Amino acid sequence: MSDRFPHEYDKLVFTEVDSTNAHAARMAKDLNRSTWILGLKQTAARGRRGRKWVNPEGNFSATLVLFANESEQTLALRSFITSLALFDALVIVTGRSDLLSLKWPNDVLLNGGKIAGILLETISLEAGRKALSIGVGVNLITAPNMAQIEGNATPPVSLFSVTGVRVAPEPFLDYFASCYAVREAEFLRNGFLPIRKAWLEHAARIGEGIIARLPKREIFGLFDTIDEKGHLVLKTQQGKELIASADIFF
Amino acid sequence: MTKKTRDQDIAFIEALADLLKSNELSEVEVMREYGEDDTLNVRVSQIKNVAPQAMAAPVAVSAPQQSAPAEVLNVAPSNNSIEDPANHPGAVTSPMVGTIYMQAEPGAPAFITIGSKINEGDTLLIVEAMKTMNHIPAPKSGSIQRILVEDGAAVEFGTPLVIIE
Repeated sequence: MSDRFPHEYDKLVFTEVDSTNAHAARMAKDLNRSTWILGLKQTAARGRRGRKWVNPEGNFSATLVLFANESEQTLALRSFITSLALFDALVIVTGRSDLLSLKWPNDVLLNGGKIAGILLETISLEAGRKALSIGVGVNLITAPNMAQIEGNATPPVSLFSVTGVRVAPEPFLDYFASCYAVREAEFLRNGFLPIRKAWLEHAARIGEGIIARLPKREIFGLFDTIDEKGHLVLKTQQGKELIASADIFF
Repeated sequence: MTKKTRDQDIAFIEALADLLKSNELSEVEVMREYGEDDTLNVRVSQIKNVAPQAMAAPVAVSAPQQSAPAEVLNVAPSNNSIEDPANHPGAVTSPMVGTIYMQAEPGAPAFITIGSKINEGDTLLIVEAMKTMNHIPAPKSGSIQRILVEDGAAVEFGTPLVIIE
C-alpha cells in the first residue's frame, strides 16, 4: 500500500471482477470499515438503471463501500462529495482545473465531455446496519465511441485523449481516495455547506438554461443553484422548481 | 366448526364489510391465527371507480409545463382524510424526496407484486434522488397487501409506498 493511501480506509485490488458494485454488495457484510474495491478488469460493468458502461482495461473502475449511519437524505449527498473529490484528483493529475467542471448531481466534465460515471446504491446489512456503495468509472485511456451513446447524452471523452496524460488505475485510486478522504472528513466535521460551496464554484452552466428530464416530463429553466439538501434549483417561468431526481441536458 | 365460532366468524366478516364501506376502502384482507390448525383468512373487496393514482403522493414539482402530460398533473394530493395509508401500521413510507423505481433496472422483474411474500430486509423498491439508488428494505417479514406508488412516480418524504401485512 502506498503512503499516499488514506490510513482510515482499506483497499482491495482485484485483477478481474464482474462489476465492482456487485462485488461490493456481496462483500460488504464482511468488511470492518470503509473500503475501496478496485477492479482492474470488469466483465459485466454496468451504469445507472442498467445502462451499459464500457470498461476496457486501463480505464478506472472502483467502488467505495462506505459505512455511515445516516439518513438516506444525508447519504445521497455523497453524490456531491464524490464528484468533487474526483474533480480534485483530476486537477492533481492534469494541472488543468480550467478544463474541468461539474454537472448536477455527480457528473465530472472534461472539456465539456463526460469523463466519468458515478453510481451510488445503498446496501442493507443485518441488524439495520447500512452501507453505501459508491461506484466510480473513469475513462482514463479510452472513451466509448459515439455510436454506443444514447441520443443527446453528453459526449464521452478520456483523460488521455483530451490531455495526453496517462495514469494507471491503481495510482489514480491513491490520488482519488486521498481527495475523497479529505472531502469526507470536511463533510463529517462541518456538514454540507462547505461541500456545496466548493461544488458550486466548479459547476458548469450556472445562470444558463438547462433541461431537467424527469421520468414523465421535462422542465426547462435557468440553473440557479443547489439548495442545502442538494436539490437542483431551476428558475422557470412559473417560479423556482426544486428537483431531487432528473437527468440534466445542456 | 361449532355454531358459536361460525356465528363469530360471520359477525367478524360483516364487521369487515362495514369497515370497508364506511372507510371507502376497496379491499380488506385479514389473517387470524387462533391456534394450531385454527386460522381464519378473510378477504372482502368491492369494485370502486377510484384510480390507484388517487393515493399517490403529490409530485415534487407541479407547475404546468407544455410537455407535461395530463396524467402527471392529476397525481395530486388526495383529500381523502378518512383513509390515510401513512397511518396504517404496516405502511412503509419514503425516507426522502425522489423517484420510484419498481425494478432493479428496466426490463428486470419488479421487486414485489401484490401478495408477494417478503422477508425482513428484502428490497421493496428503490427511491432515487441525486443519482443515489436507495433500496428500501422491508422492515418486517410478511406479504405485500398494497403497492401505493407506480414506477417513475415522484414521492415526498413520508409518502406511503407499500403496505405489508
